[in-house]
Amino acid sequence: MDTLLQDLRYGLRLLAKSPGFTAIAILALALGIGANCAIFSVVNAVLLRPLPYRESDRLMFLSEREPQLEGMSIAYPNFTDWREQNTVFEKIAVFRRQSYNLTGSGDPERLIGGQVSADLFPILRAAPEQGRTFTSDEDRPGGNQVVILSHGLWQRRFGSDPSLLGKTLLLSGKAHTVIGVMPAEYQFPSRVDLWVPVGQESGQPGWQQRGNHPGLYGVGRLKPGLSVSQCRAEMDTIAVRLEKQYPQSNTGNRVTVTPLLEIFVRRIRTALLVLLGAVGFVLLIACGNVANLQLARAATRYKEIAIRMALGAKRRQLIRQLLTESVLLAVLGGALGLLLAKWGVTAILAASPDSIPRAREIGVDSRVLEFTFLLSLLTGILFGLVPALQSSRPDLTESLKESGRGTTTGRQRQKFRNVLVVAEVALSLVLLIGSGLTIRSFYRLQQVNPGFTAQNLLTFQVTLPTAKYQQDTQKINFYQESLEKLDTLPGVRSVGAASGLPLGNNGNQTSFYVQGKPDPGPGAVPLTEIVVVSPDYFRTMGIPLLRGRAFTRQDSKDAPKVVIIDESFAERYWPGEDALGKQITFGGHDPKSVMNTVVGTVGRVKMEGLDTDSNRVQAYQPFTQNTYNGMTYVLRTAADPLALASAARKQILDVDPDEPTYNVRSIEQIWEESVAPQRLNLLLFGLFAGVALLLAAIGIYGVMAYTVMQRTHELGIRIALGAGTGDVLRLVVGHGMLLALIGIGIGLTGAFALTRLMSTFLFGVQATDPLTFAVISVLLGSVGLIACYFPARKATKVDPIIALRYE
Amino acid sequence: MNSPNPAIIRMEAVSKVFFTDEVETHALEGTHLEINQGEFVSIAGPSGCGKSTLLSILGLLDTPTDGQYWLSGNAVESLDRAERARVRNREIGFVFQSFNLIGDLTVFENVELPLTYRGMRAAERKQRVVAALERVGMAHRVKHLPSQLSGGQQQRVAVARALVGEPSILLADEPTGNLDSKNSEAVMELLHELHHKGATICMVTHDSRFARAAERTIHLFDGRVVSEDETGSAEVQ
Repeated sequence: MDTLLQDLRYGLRLLAKSPGFTAIAILALALGIGANCAIFSVVNAVLLRPLPYRESDRLMFLSEREPQLEGMSIAYPNFTDWREQNTVFEKIAVFRRQSYNLTGSGDPERLIGGQVSADLFPILRAAPEQGRTFTSDEDRPGGNQVVILSHGLWQRRFGSDPSLLGKTLLLSGKAHTVIGVMPAEYQFPSRVDLWVPVGQESGQPGWQQRGNHPGLYGVGRLKPGLSVSQCRAEMDTIAVRLEKQYPQSNTGNRVTVTPLLEIFVRRIRTALLVLLGAVGFVLLIACGNVANLQLARAATRYKEIAIRMALGAKRRQLIRQLLTESVLLAVLGGALGLLLAKWGVTAILAASPDSIPRAREIGVDSRVLEFTFLLSLLTGILFGLVPALQSSRPDLTESLKESGRGTTTGRQRQKFRNVLVVAEVALSLVLLIGSGLTIRSFYRLQQVNPGFTAQNLLTFQVTLPTAKYQQDTQKINFYQESLEKLDTLPGVRSVGAASGLPLGNNGNQTSFYVQGKPDPGPGAVPLTEIVVVSPDYFRTMGIPLLRGRAFTRQDSKDAPKVVIIDESFAERYWPGEDALGKQITFGGHDPKSVMNTVVGTVGRVKMEGLDTDSNRVQAYQPFTQNTYNGMTYVLRTAADPLALASAARKQILDVDPDEPTYNVRSIEQIWEESVAPQRLNLLLFGLFAGVALLLAAIGIYGVMAYTVMQRTHELGIRIALGAGTGDVLRLVVGHGMLLALIGIGIGLTGAFALTRLMSTFLFGVQATDPLTFAVISVLLGSVGLIACYFPARKATKVDPIIALRYE
Repeated sequence: MNSPNPAIIRMEAVSKVFFTDEVETHALEGTHLEINQGEFVSIAGPSGCGKSTLLSILGLLDTPTDGQYWLSGNAVESLDRAERARVRNREIGFVFQSFNLIGDLTVFENVELPLTYRGMRAAERKQRVVAALERVGMAHRVKHLPSQLSGGQQQRVAVARALVGEPSILLADEPTGNLDSKNSEAVMELLHELHHKGATICMVTHDSRFARAAERTIHLFDGRVVSEDETGSAEVQ
């Protein structure tokens, strides 16, 4: 301990004595450790930390699946059968999101509610902050209308009023009694303002059909000691039983059981792990640089080491002392890195708030601190070990002489420095290629034609409460009147409305039958995206009408049913034929179902997102013939669409002062949000690759500058013997570029193997894209050339007289 | 294997050959040497005669190519690296021409260094360092850095460092080589005084004045011992 303190004291004194070296080394390490710490704090919060519920490893997410649709929501009767028949869960519950208009006190407000089973709270072991959760009596049709508020809503809207319990709120026109407030940390389903019992909805006729999947998903708590595979086996047995019982609706349907944590993280896991690998590379490059600095510094300490050995220091004592100094440096770098990481995480979250799940949980906790400390220790050992091993074997006789420089292992050190530079270049190349691929991928994504014109479009949503708008005609009148009023706004070119917009996974899916085609049978019925739209929707969105006509006001509720399909629909079901006039039915196959006549064909749009295409065909119905409670309005404007937001809101309130508008955004904002995860990848990869490039350039420069210094005498002789500027430049640049080219060669091999890991989040570009590989190699080679050029130029200026005296 | 002679240092037929770029350089050839307890021996000879090589082998900084070497009666040529470090630490005190003090350590810390490597407790270390510095008259400079001292003072600190571990023998390699005549004489006086108090000293020098200060002078030429003088005067003038 005494010796360790001595070593530390001496180490600190040495660092203070060389502020330039110390600052550069600490900064390089801080960048490397900070990047690792930042990404690890995200990995820790998102992937490693259990969900904030007790024994959360027993929580499972449930959904249905059929051959054509993975992750389908659950039909309520299927849920009740699962609940009764399973023996693997303590309890299961279902939930879905539903928006509500809060009216009656103050301005009307659109709130997001969670319709949940009463059992959800006990499953999650969640207790209310005030009041109670739902009883099973309240979670059935005809139960008391009750609501539980989130802490945020209670605080924001009701000023944390403690007497709110027992009072009633008007939600979408219906009085609900407040029975509880959940604590601030409770967030399931995420981002909801309130909870109501889902069972009350189950009395609706539609909910009793097994073919109807109304957006419900399940959560269950496994009984202790049971595995996920046991659970899956039993749930599939139940599904097979239901399939036999209800072949029309349940053929091919199975239950998907996924650990709940997996649901949150599966989208981002690969990207995070690849990023963690990338920052690992950055740290290795930083280590390479600091090791190089250490080696250069060790050369100046050769005599000191030799003296210590002459006085009886054992090699391990010297290695310990040198490693103590390295670790000290790394710990200082780690401390600064931790600060950088804290800022970095804040910046990452600010740059892309919705791209990372569990973002609220990201922060520096004890595990991140432990990780940073251990990483710092390891880093210190990593960059300090080889210099320490090499420095602790000086030639004592030579080193202790009056002019002794102890250079007999100089060649070995130079070899190691060369190896370090080659490794740095190789690692940088892998990172740069990774970054290049994300840039190419992002560019390709931005070039995707979404099927509509995105500029100057304002969108917002309105959801009509069923209590007030019970009849379809009421809703139709509201939509028509509001569309007309919006159309009169100055600056508005056209107005449309749809049940779901592109790029947001907002569509509904329904099965359909094509008249005249053979019945595909249960389980093989095709699905289509179905969007309900206003007549001017296509014109407003800029979706091209390819054949036939758009909807008109004549396509009224009582007029013959019409449908417009996308080009892929026409090509798939009527190849080589004219689709106009053909007929299809939606929903269950029933000869009595209403026929919808195709009156137009439009271009295909990207419904889910720019980078995904479900391959499902797309169909549109007029809102007069299939009326939804909620619609999204789109306004094509002459100038900045957001400037019209308040005017548009006023027009809606003019039609009904109780109807709030919400999700007011421009399509360009939606576009940006849809590519936010890719943008985040681009940003982070770009940042890390930039740091890597800079460090590699410094590494090459450092080694070449040091080499020139070491070879001053030799260069002096060469110049004295008649070597010209070009000869010296070639000599030095040739040496540096040889290292760079070897590094590039190794890096290309590494990149070829490693970039495949990125393929899941690349779009429109192969992980082994030859163009990216070639361009990045040339870029790195050019940077290497520049990094070699400056020391080489210095070498040409060597004065042979001084150089020959120098030795 | 133990030598029959109780001499502190005994060498028999020691040779040292350096191999560089296919050229063999015979720095020492068949050297025989004995230094007894309490002796003050100087090794003299022209530049390149093998003095420093001999001293390096004596100090276990280098190994002979051939021959045998006993230190305090123990054969040392077969010791491994760690054992050689331990012997250097406990049995040998070095004084170098260029002092070889560590510039970033204070006078106290420089002198303390051999004891630190011995794993001695801090309190005992302090006591010994102060005593050693007092012996060389440098106890008032404990917090100074080497750069703040004159050459003569630095060499006295180096002598204190060589003494502090109470070694069996003090090896001095041209201890006055970097000093002016006044300081050189002061250092030689110090060595002389130490010898009188019982220290065994082996000094390499090419300065015949200082070589004569020893009791015995061994003359080297082309890696061989060519003669030995019993000077016996131990006068430094």
